Amino acid sequence: MGEEKDLLSSLLLELRRGTLTISVLSQMKEPKYGYALVQSLEEKGVAIDPNTLYPLLRRLENQGLLESRWETGGAKPRKYYQRTKYGTEIYEKLKAYWQNLSAGMDRLLREEES
Amino acid sequence: MTPNEKDYMDRYIYQVIRRLSKAQRDEVRMELEELISDMYTDKGSMEEVLTELGDPAEFAKQYQGDQRYLIGPEYFDTYLWFVKVVIVCAAIPILLISLINAIGEMPAITAQNSASVIIRAIVDGLITGITDAILSCVSAFGAVTLTFAIMERKKVQFELKKEEKWSLESLSGEGKTPTSRSRWTPKFLEPVPDKKAIISRGDSIVGIIFIVIFSVLLIFAPHFFAAFFTEGETVMTVPIFNLEQWGIVLPVFILSLLIGLADEILRLVVGVYCRLVMISNIVCGVLQIVLSIIVLKVLPIWNPNFVLEIEQALGDHADSGARFLTYWNADMVSNGFLAFIVAITLFEIGVTIYKTLRYGVAVKSN
Repeated sequence: MGEEKDLLSSLLLELRRGTLTISVLSQMKEPKYGYALVQSLEEKGVAIDPNTLYPLLRRLENQGLLESRWETGGAKPRKYYQRTKYGTEIYEKLKAYWQNLSAGMDRLLREEES
Repeated sequence: MTPNEKDYMDRYIYQVIRRLSKAQRDEVRMELEELISDMYTDKGSMEEVLTELGDPAEFAKQYQGDQRYLIGPEYFDTYLWFVKVVIVCAAIPILLISLINAIGEMPAITAQNSASVIIRAIVDGLITGITDAILSCVSAFGAVTLTFAIMERKKVQFELKKEEKWSLESLSGEGKTPTSRSRWTPKFLEPVPDKKAIISRGDSIVGIIFIVIFSVLLIFAPHFFAAFFTEGETVMTVPIFNLEQWGIVLPVFILSLLIGLADEILRLVVGVYCRLVMISNIVCGVLQIVLSIIVLKVLPIWNPNFVLEIEQALGDHADSGARFLTYWNADMVSNGFLAFIVAITLFEIGVTIYKTLRYGVAVKSN
């Protein structure tokens, strides 16, 4: 029982990992701070845990796909992230690949059902 | 946010960032303050927020990525600093010792060849010095790396064991919501340690430098511990230690010093006074006292012919030497050193116990 659950959750984790990057990049055309991103993703049905998202944002920044700046004007300092030019280029390619992939996946899974 | 909730937020953030490299800490602290207060505004309960964020160790792992380390980011800064200190402390004395040895063994200087003799002595000294220094630095590097790597592994094992225990507990409570009991909850959060409980590198550096330099001297230059006389132009030395039996004495001596070094490493790695540091300090202190007793009271550490050789060396100056000789008594010297070592060790243990009980945190050994 436990093993099956572990296997399933590790498979799901693998499956999600790549999609998270695209999900996040898709939302970052305009500057956003972390928790606003959590909420907007959740509203659109792509929930992501904050403890996954925050480290992910940093990784994407290190990879040059996002850039960040601290906004200290408000009640408390907030870190805003935004896509870089390079990030947008990569995102467009990922998007095209994803659309292709998901169309293919759809065909595969429908074939199985019928 | 109540002060109590703010305290829990600080505890949580501390538990995440202490596992990250120094370079990341400040930035991640600010990010987490932003995140947690945003979530708090949204949900209205700190307990709910922290429960949703989950075990801070897992959170920190996300920040670290999935790499595996011999020495992870939590320890790496300390490790790097430690390696530098140890290598500098080993290399410089060895070079100096080799130079002094080479110059000491220099053949007599005559007016014609003085420059070439001196240069040759210095070159010889540098060559043996550099060879010895490289060998010692490699072994010192190995010893420090091994110690840190063991601590890294132990920590990992400890964390795994903790998880295992939780899942076992949840197994035994079959049927009764097995997941909720094994879940991390904010109740696990320890208070952020008092500033006075933090062990700084400054506290340790004197101990580390002393241990390394003393080890180097004992290994490479036991004959430096000697009585020096000038007789006319030449310098006479009479070693204090029993150099013929040095092969038996030295390993015990070095073992004792290494135990001290391991204790210093553990203190730095843990970084705060806590039960683990206190126990390690007591165990290492007791071991060092026992080994000191063996070295000073059981093993033939002192040169048995010390008095005789001094008498011979002094020869006709016996008058001035006689006064000194009446003070030399191997047993008394041993007892004196032993009393000194015991006093210092007990003092250190006392300070550690005091600081642990007064300011220390009840952190687990991970």
